[in-house]
Amino acid sequence: MTAGDTQADGDAVSGLAADPVGRAPAVRPFLVTAGRVASTRAGTPMPLETQVVSTAAGIVGMERLAFERRDIVALCRQPQSLAEVAARLRLHLNVVRVLAEDLESTGDLSVYVPRSEAANDLSILRRVIDGLRTIPDFRETTP
Amino acid sequence: MTPTETAARGRAQQTADRPPLPVKLVIAGGFGVGKTTTVGSISEIAPLTTEAAITEVAAGVDDLSHTPRKTTTTVAMDFGCITIDPTLKLYLFGTPGQERFGFMWDDLVEGALGGLVIVDTRRLDDCYAAVDYFEHKQIPFVVAVNAFDGKVEHDLDQVRWALDVADQVPLVTFDARRRGSVRDALLAVLELALERAEG
Ligand SMILES: Nc1nc2c(ncn2[C@@H]2O[C@H](COP(=O)(O)OP(=O)(O)OP(=O)(O)O)[C@@H](O)[C@H]2O)c(=O)[nH]1
Ligand SMILES: [Mg+2]
Repeated sequence: MTAGDTQADGDAVSGLAADPVGRAPAVRPFLVTAGRVASTRAGTPMPLETQVVSTAAGIVGMERLAFERRDIVALCRQPQSLAEVAARLRLHLNVVRVLAEDLESTGDLSVYVPRSEAANDLSILRRVIDGLRTIPDFRETTP
Repeated sequence: MTPTETAARGRAQQTADRPPLPVKLVIAGGFGVGKTTTVGSISEIAPLTTEAAITEVAAGVDDLSHTPRKTTTTVAMDFGCITIDPTLKLYLFGTPGQERFGFMWDDLVEGALGGLVIVDTRRLDDCYAAVDYFEHKQIPFVVAVNAFDGKVEHDLDQVRWALDVADQVPLVTFDARRRGSVRDALLAVLELALERAEG
């Protein structure tokens, strides 16, 4: 596989997961997601670094979305990770997982789940190493 | 679908902005060892914090069902990122300090390229949980002694002995506040990961 791969997995995934392991104790997340917890793909929740980006249709139709969903589509004009979305919108990660899947199913958001095999991909590891080596000892910009 | 194809799932349309492939390293260690400082020293964004759920398998079993008792705890997790190139982005996730055993960080760690276990030599035992976890999950990891104020209280042989980590686990000293030092510690993790992947 070449660098830049992300996994495409065609089947629609139901937001209704039976496995409550990912459940957080807070009450509010369940109000946002109407009581659902993050669904699982092959038993594992979407990784934190999963990239999400708004679709053109999502941006055009943003006004019809409510609250958190609209915030996510607005924020994800810039592609970013689920973790960044959760942090920037101050939402629980599991809420973002559920909402991202909802928005994907309605065509408002593209979700790119990374392959976990990246960890064993020599070319990816070498590129990360080469990239890190170019980082200077100190930041170029002085405050 | 060919493996070289990047595609969005479902009906969502792609926009012009194709996201980079995200990869991650996990920065682990006990309370206050310098995880957030480490992430902040090298991340291109100020460290962000998000809430993540971790599952703890309690020692002992539930009296009634005789199943292991699981509790889920929500913890604050710091992270940052480094754009390697437009198609590849490295995330650094700082896992919360926990001295207790049995935490399942799988949710955070799944697919990680490797781990950096930060150690403060004044409180060595704080890192046992992280060391055990990475060993158990067979995730390549390096133990990095944070040289608070430029000095390490014990020499590395003593630290290795005290931690009882295998000889093949690299042990380095670094300064969490210095970017070049953090870079080199991360490189040690990635070089180990590469060595492992090469078989
Ligand atoms: N002198 C010195 N101080 C450091 C160093 N690394 C971290 N610190 C300080 O130690 C304190 C804890 O560092 P953090 O980076 O917040 O540690 P942490 O592991 O993220 O802590 P928790 O998230 O609370 O577990 C902060 O006040 C840092 O400024 C270091 O190398 N030298
Ligand atoms: Mg911290």
